[in-house]
Amino acid sequence: MWSIRNVTAGGLSTTIREEQAVAGCRRRRETAWDGVAWRDAVANHPDLLKAEKARSRRTLLGTLCAHTPVEIFHAFDIVPVRLWGAGADPGGADPLLQSFICPPVRQIMAMGLAGRYDFLDGLVHAYSCDAACGLFNIWRRNLHPKFAFQLSLPYMDTPEALAYAQVEFRRLIAALETLTDRAYEPERLRAAIGLYREARALLRRAYAHKRQDGGPSYADLYRLSLALQVFPVETVLPWLTAFDAAADGPAVAGDAGTTRLMISGSLCADEALFTEIAALGGNIVLDDTCIGYRTLLGEAAPEGDPLTALARHHLARPPCSARADFPARRAYFREQIEAFRVEAVVFIHQKFCDPHLADHPFLKTVLEERGIPSLQVELEGEGLTGQIRTRLEGFFEMIGKNRP
Amino acid sequence: MGEPMDAQKTTKRLKANTALREIIAEFYTDGHRAKAEGRPVGWIPPMNGLIELFYAMDIHPIFPENWAPVCAAIGTNRQNFAACAGHGYADDLCGYFRNNVGYALDGIDAPDQPLGGLPKPDFLISFGAGCIPTMKTFQVLCDHFDCPVIRADLPQVAMEDIGEHHLRYGVAQIKRLIAFLEDLTGRRLDLDRLSQAVAWTDEACRLWDEIMALRAAVPAPFSAAEIGIMFVMVTRHGTPIAVDFLRDVLAEVKERVARGVGVVPDERLRLFWDNIPLWYNMKLFNYFEKWNAVVVAETYTSAWTLRMDPAKPLESIAYKSLVSYPLVSCVSLEKRLELIRKAIREYRIDGAILHSNRSCKPISMGQLDIQRMLNDELGVPAVLFDGDHMDGDKFAFAPFQTRIDAFIEMLLERRASAHAPNP
Repeated sequence: MWSIRNVTAGGLSTTIREEQAVAGCRRRRETAWDGVAWRDAVANHPDLLKAEKARSRRTLLGTLCAHTPVEIFHAFDIVPVRLWGAGADPGGADPLLQSFICPPVRQIMAMGLAGRYDFLDGLVHAYSCDAACGLFNIWRRNLHPKFAFQLSLPYMDTPEALAYAQVEFRRLIAALETLTDRAYEPERLRAAIGLYREARALLRRAYAHKRQDGGPSYADLYRLSLALQVFPVETVLPWLTAFDAAADGPAVAGDAGTTRLMISGSLCADEALFTEIAALGGNIVLDDTCIGYRTLLGEAAPEGDPLTALARHHLARPPCSARADFPARRAYFREQIEAFRVEAVVFIHQKFCDPHLADHPFLKTVLEERGIPSLQVELEGEGLTGQIRTRLEGFFEMIGKNRP
Repeated sequence: MGEPMDAQKTTKRLKANTALREIIAEFYTDGHRAKAEGRPVGWIPPMNGLIELFYAMDIHPIFPENWAPVCAAIGTNRQNFAACAGHGYADDLCGYFRNNVGYALDGIDAPDQPLGGLPKPDFLISFGAGCIPTMKTFQVLCDHFDCPVIRADLPQVAMEDIGEHHLRYGVAQIKRLIAFLEDLTGRRLDLDRLSQAVAWTDEACRLWDEIMALRAAVPAPFSAAEIGIMFVMVTRHGTPIAVDFLRDVLAEVKERVARGVGVVPDERLRLFWDNIPLWYNMKLFNYFEKWNAVVVAETYTSAWTLRMDPAKPLESIAYKSLVSYPLVSCVSLEKRLELIRKAIREYRIDGAILHSNRSCKPISMGQLDIQRMLNDELGVPAVLFDGDHMDGDKFAFAPFQTRIDAFIEMLLERRASAHAPNP
């Protein structure tokens, strides 16, 4: 339950306002994905979101980084939609982006140019890497979204950073008030924080099963992580609840592989890769990616000022390759591979991705120190190619030979 | 492949280049002298307001990013790249990163280095600002050198969005840094000395703008081939060295303008250059001269178009730290377009050369928008060529030549048609 002071505001007690806010946030409403099985919904999310936009005129905003404070959007009844390119041909971005820009950025731009994201009302970037920053600006200039906002968040956990992060969030809130013609209500933000806490906790439980010896397939974990980043949280919560109820049961289709494996990289969104790894004997128990487990860690406190809680949550987030320093990344990496008893790592890097390419040597050293084998594959926007398949086969063959 | 080294001697016209060579040598000698005398040497990222703080506290700054062009010019970049690759770093990473990491991890201990090499750091500042490769370079250095490190944080904000709270946060970071430096040196910062350093930087920036503005003269008094003068803007801000040197440059440039002395005898085309030069092949700027074409303005030299207030030294250096990177990168694409529009008008540009630079994504992103803006909005033709500011293996001279030759011929025809009498 919330920690609530019994003061009145606007004629309603805070308690009542918050209860109403929670009820409002949870309210089941008609959507374009009603009756669609969740796996299908995730696979077809651009089409479904487009249909939802046409149906309800609800505001949808594209986001470019996991550090976007999705709870704030939810408090304004906006659907934050994470963009990652979704397998588009990066060549579609040629009129605006050079070929040495990473494939996901080119793919997102290609989809934008092809009108695949026309259902979005705008774009928000929580500053991450150079390429995403460039994409934001080029998108804004060429696709003329109704709304475009760049958050410049701090990366260190200091009192000044906390104060600064709150001002940045307030800047975003002011812009969203103008966009939606709706006043910011702290109760709604607190309610949104509560919903996302609940959803992330359920998804972490699914990963916790993988931490043991059972658990669902990684492909499902990946899809659910994505679901939480492209659909409203109130839509995903029932999916997660049902999934959680069955997550470690006998009917769950887990991964048959025996090698406990972690994938690491930025936007690893090629399901065919996961399937191939599983087919070769890998059991992906954990990911270290920008759209996976890291997005689920840490919590905004449910009590106190919600904006402060959200800012604290942001500052304490797990270290990402784009902004964190080596010691923090190294410590996080070590902790996770130990906690999940990782036996092998596949680095799935996007070509030209500076943050991850620069981190690779020291992360590899962490693994070598523990005798954990690793493989690096580079994606060029074509997903699982024959060359990558061959390299994965060789890697698993090597692991098999070295097993006692 | 780039041109062979023996073909790469750049033709420079400013007499100031003699003094510049001495300033460059003295900067590195001073670093070694500082080390020998027990004055701290700190390695820092480029283009921020820390240098004024360093000089005000008698700390010698070393900028790996500035060392990289030196390596490219003298040809040691290749061995640094090889060393970097040997440590497992990808060839797709920025050439500055690959050079500086290779140098710091291996090359720094090599005997008989040009300019004596770099003195090892007594401390490092890992600043979460600027581009990712710069940030990552310092993370590698912090991991490698056994010395004190201060990690700082500065948000990336588009020029037009910088607000009071950004500045306040920048000042808070600067104060943390001051406490670190005071602790390290055992001395208090003298704010009057910092104000003086800020005043010198402000004057250097003012002189810089005045010098750059004189390039609007026809014929242009000097071309991008002389852009090495920016060395003082990177390494000697906060000192009278930059001010004195730039005063001499200004006097020389004024004199050339007064006498109508240009780069070429009969200047016919005025060109604009976008992105970082090819440091291993500065002679490329002379290539245009065979058509009496001169590169008279660049985006890169705009990084110091700023003013500082000696009465507010902390705010000034925080502001400098916030704006230097967005001024030239894609953090602020609209601002960059505005800057180019202004340059095209003021420098009476006939055509633009856009270096699509594999080593610098933040500056290269947006170039296709720049090209379209120039063509469609201003009617100024622009050509894009593939290159790399550090790695000659990623630049092919023949395709460059083919593309540039055709482009210049088109500009000349265009000019001839514009000047042809009406039938």
